[in-house]
Amino acid sequence: MSHILPHLLNGLSLGLLFALIALGFMLIVSVMEVINLSHGSLFALGAYFALVVIDPDFAWLGSFGEAYRALPLPARYGLAFLIAPALVAVVGMGLEVCMRRTYGKKAEYGLLLTFGAALVIEETIRVLWGPSEQYLQVPRDISGAFLFGGLIYSKYKLYAALFAAIAIGLVWLFLERTPYGAIIKAGAHDSEMVRALGINLTRLRLLVFGLGAGLAGFAGIVLTPIWGLRPHVGIDAVIPAFLIIVLGGIGSFSGAVTGGILVGLAVGITGAYASDWSLLSMYLLLIAVVTVRARGLFGKKSVLEA
Amino acid sequence: MPRMKLTRRSLLKGAGLLSAGTAVTFMGPWRHNRVYAAASDKPILIGLTSDASGQYANSGASDRRGMLMAIAEFNDRGGVLGRMVETLHVDTETTPATGSRAAERLISRNECAFLIGAVSSGVANAISQVAQKYGTVYLNTNSSSPTESGKNCHRVKFVWDGNGTNFAQAAVKNAINAYGTKWMLMTNDYVWGHNTSAATRTLVEQYGGEITDEILVPQGTRDFSAMLLKVQQGSPQVVAAAVGGDDQKAMRQQVAELGLGESMAWINNQQDWPDVYGLPLENLFGVFGTTWYWKLDLPGVAEFVQRYQAAYPDTRMRVPGNVFYNGYMATRELLSAVERAGSTNNRKVIQELEGLKVSAQDRMQHHDAWMNPATHQMQQTIYLATANSGTGDADDMFRMLSQSSPEEIRDTGADAACMMESLDETPSYEM
Amino acid sequence: MAPRQSFAGRWVPGEMALLFVLMATLPLWIGPVGLYQYLGIEIAIWMIYGLGYNLLLGYSGLPSFGHGAFFGIGAYAFGLFQLRVFESLWLGMVCAVVAAAVAGAFVACFLSHRRGIYFALLTIAFGQVFWFVSIKWHAVTGGEDGLLNIPRPALELGVISPALSTNADFFYFVLFVLAVVTVLLWRLVHSPFGKVLQAIRQNEERARFVGYNVWLFKWAAFTLSAAIAGLAGSLFSMAQQSAYPDVMSLHASGIIVMMTLIGGGFVSFWGPVIGVAVYFVARDVLGTLTETWLLWFGLVFVLAVIFKPEGIAGAWQEFTGAKGRHALARRAMAGLISAGRK
Repeated sequence: MSHILPHLLNGLSLGLLFALIALGFMLIVSVMEVINLSHGSLFALGAYFALVVIDPDFAWLGSFGEAYRALPLPARYGLAFLIAPALVAVVGMGLEVCMRRTYGKKAEYGLLLTFGAALVIEETIRVLWGPSEQYLQVPRDISGAFLFGGLIYSKYKLYAALFAAIAIGLVWLFLERTPYGAIIKAGAHDSEMVRALGINLTRLRLLVFGLGAGLAGFAGIVLTPIWGLRPHVGIDAVIPAFLIIVLGGIGSFSGAVTGGILVGLAVGITGAYASDWSLLSMYLLLIAVVTVRARGLFGKKSVLEA
Repeated sequence: MPRMKLTRRSLLKGAGLLSAGTAVTFMGPWRHNRVYAAASDKPILIGLTSDASGQYANSGASDRRGMLMAIAEFNDRGGVLGRMVETLHVDTETTPATGSRAAERLISRNECAFLIGAVSSGVANAISQVAQKYGTVYLNTNSSSPTESGKNCHRVKFVWDGNGTNFAQAAVKNAINAYGTKWMLMTNDYVWGHNTSAATRTLVEQYGGEITDEILVPQGTRDFSAMLLKVQQGSPQVVAAAVGGDDQKAMRQQVAELGLGESMAWINNQQDWPDVYGLPLENLFGVFGTTWYWKLDLPGVAEFVQRYQAAYPDTRMRVPGNVFYNGYMATRELLSAVERAGSTNNRKVIQELEGLKVSAQDRMQHHDAWMNPATHQMQQTIYLATANSGTGDADDMFRMLSQSSPEEIRDTGADAACMMESLDETPSYEM
Repeated sequence: MAPRQSFAGRWVPGEMALLFVLMATLPLWIGPVGLYQYLGIEIAIWMIYGLGYNLLLGYSGLPSFGHGAFFGIGAYAFGLFQLRVFESLWLGMVCAVVAAAVAGAFVACFLSHRRGIYFALLTIAFGQVFWFVSIKWHAVTGGEDGLLNIPRPALELGVISPALSTNADFFYFVLFVLAVVTVLLWRLVHSPFGKVLQAIRQNEERARFVGYNVWLFKWAAFTLSAAIAGLAGSLFSMAQQSAYPDVMSLHASGIIVMMTLIGGGFVSFWGPVIGVAVYFVARDVLGTLTETWLLWFGLVFVLAVIFKPEGIAGAWQEFTGAKGRHALARRAMAGLISAGRK
């Protein structure tokens, strides 16, 4: 038992990170009925924007740039957490504007548009930042290792799980405790109803896509110190994201979180005892769950099924 | 950016060449012993098959710069056999199926005389299989899988990098003496990882060590926390990791974060320079192999670095690394072989390369190198290195630990594993 | 497709004749236009794959994002048959088709009561599982290096068996397979079976109320489409004389969707044919011009989805003023409903 405990804890923290990755994807698919395949590219974009915010190397910034770069790393790191997701949100909103012509058509068009957008964003990253591995600086205070029960753990991993938990909590508060959240939840079930209530659907969609993209960017910043950063890192994020959503059920916030934690536990425990199966475990989990429960753990009937 | 311009310009030249009607339109397979009535001024066209997208795009770019610098040096001296050398690049996308198509295109449409370039062993395999069909000489510049000069060797293929077995040979005996006999393996769960770990296992057992556990790492793993906990629970004295590509990049970041690099000895396979350049030194944990380093204290090295900097002033990578070096050396030796053969006839070139010997001075390594005619792998010096902490020079990342002569680190299994086509079975051509 | 009623019933309509003539003469003109024979082989193979795929996407409205798995299974099955059993063209191809069909039938059991997004996502999941197995099961598949040195057997025709070793000869064999598949699929989509599939695409509930066993039709369409992918895969392993796992990846599976859509698979039988040709030629030409070709291709694709989601075939139909398949589908539905009432 003492042997498996570290792996359970590790799986749990991994699960929170997986849930964070899936969060933005969940919002968009619930409200917009769009499988956002560019989720991974937006994830990567967030991390690349953070690189720039932490260490902007532009001549035109002049003396302001020098003064800014002299700021302590934790301050610039904190700013990156605010600015980079906001920038990704703007990109996401741009994408939403492009998507407008596909509304009311088959769901595949939205999926294909985001597939194309994923290609474009990834290739643009490659052109702007080059194909090589990049490194995102993390303040000393939250990196390094700590000893617990005779084993070494990553301090950053703990903070990352904490960031994930905070983000999950904030999204929950937003959905449950604000009027906008109520509308989004209504939209998740019935977009006709939202329109009938006289709510500006155009603005709602723009907001949701921006929020979903911003969350993807945020997840990118949190995960980069663990995964490393390269232009094609997005594929590593988008696949677990859709998997978790199907597992948890489309349109369900608690489903996304539960799905994320289940995947984290599956990957964490197989990683320790049958490591060669650790990646496949999430797919097997998915197939097992979906065979029994057609719409995932907490799924409701989706408009996309029609 | 200059890299793109070069490609485009050479393409235009290539296109001009074709439209000028010098070449016969390709209407079928190569027949044996065809000779192109090559006017002595017709350029020699070389197909570059380095990856420009996918997992090895970054290394592929470095590889290609090496080839282009070697070619530019020959052209500055008036070309090869009085003919200019031109290049055409096709992106192999780090994908074998695309490599196959690229090779078909470069050989059958563009009528390239030679093909150069690979980082991924899957792509190298795919290209060499097509090249063998047509008899086209192909240089695998940078793929370090033992199978390349073993099971999957070909008469037309020449391998220029050290392989996993070479690096294991260089590292294992020293590591057992220095750190202890209790070893653990971390193996990427695919062919290259298994081959490399198998070589390590054999050597560890041969020198009296013991493998306590082997952790398989699926390709595509991004989170190593569970596996690293498992390593700690097993508390080995040495961990030998055969983890490659993006998996390796994620792993070393996480090992560095935990400081595990200090608490136990790590033996890594080769660390390609483009993969580590510009990263913090903590990421370079443990001991790893390389075939060359830009600060080797040997004649010619400093001047070579200057040539690189003059040729690529805008490149982010300020100094050349092993991938560039392999691309450069392979191309230079090929063109020299053509000059010595006095012809582009593939059989003559193959024979020249099979008898290739390069002095230590020309190789800018510590020992003479030679091409093994039975496996077509370059037998060369292998260096072990570790992170170079405590210098002011950010580019000076490696501290060299040891060097091994080609004889000490020879991949003895390769000769038996490699069943090569005979020269007579290989279609011949002359461009 | 522009299915003017009279064409739909014919065995070889004008478009098909045009395709066959263009392809049959390809070895004559592909060199002079600056391409090469091997590219023609790949194009013909992917046309087979695309036509079979569109039976699902375009005709049944079932977006599979893991179809590369069946293409790959066909390639591996053919290769393994040649390397482990004995060299035979026909038996190898039969083996490939059966293997892909069995895998497809198995997967279809999990999928056929699904629709829309869950269908798409489950196909991705199954596709990933097959891809994973192909890399992991080294002893059989050769892992990420793939199966190498797969022989290209001679064409056994009883009395004579000409070799297919040259690319030009092999191209004609692929073309023959393409012709057979095209004619059979054309008949199939215009048969009652094809009409039911289109009815399911239009409105699954309604098709079910009319009395059709929707599950069975979806299952059959998926299995058939997988079998055709397997057939194309077997040809691909002959073309490359190797079988690699990466044709099974999510990226490769996404590319066939992209090709089918860009050509206009939603509105025309010929969508995938056009899309495959455009994609391969664009990749070959742009790929040598610029290293960022995928950026430009992605941009064009995005613009196409925004402004011309019906693809090239859709644009052509608009240009020539044809009505498109929607009209036909509506008629088919009306026919089905009246048939169901009887």
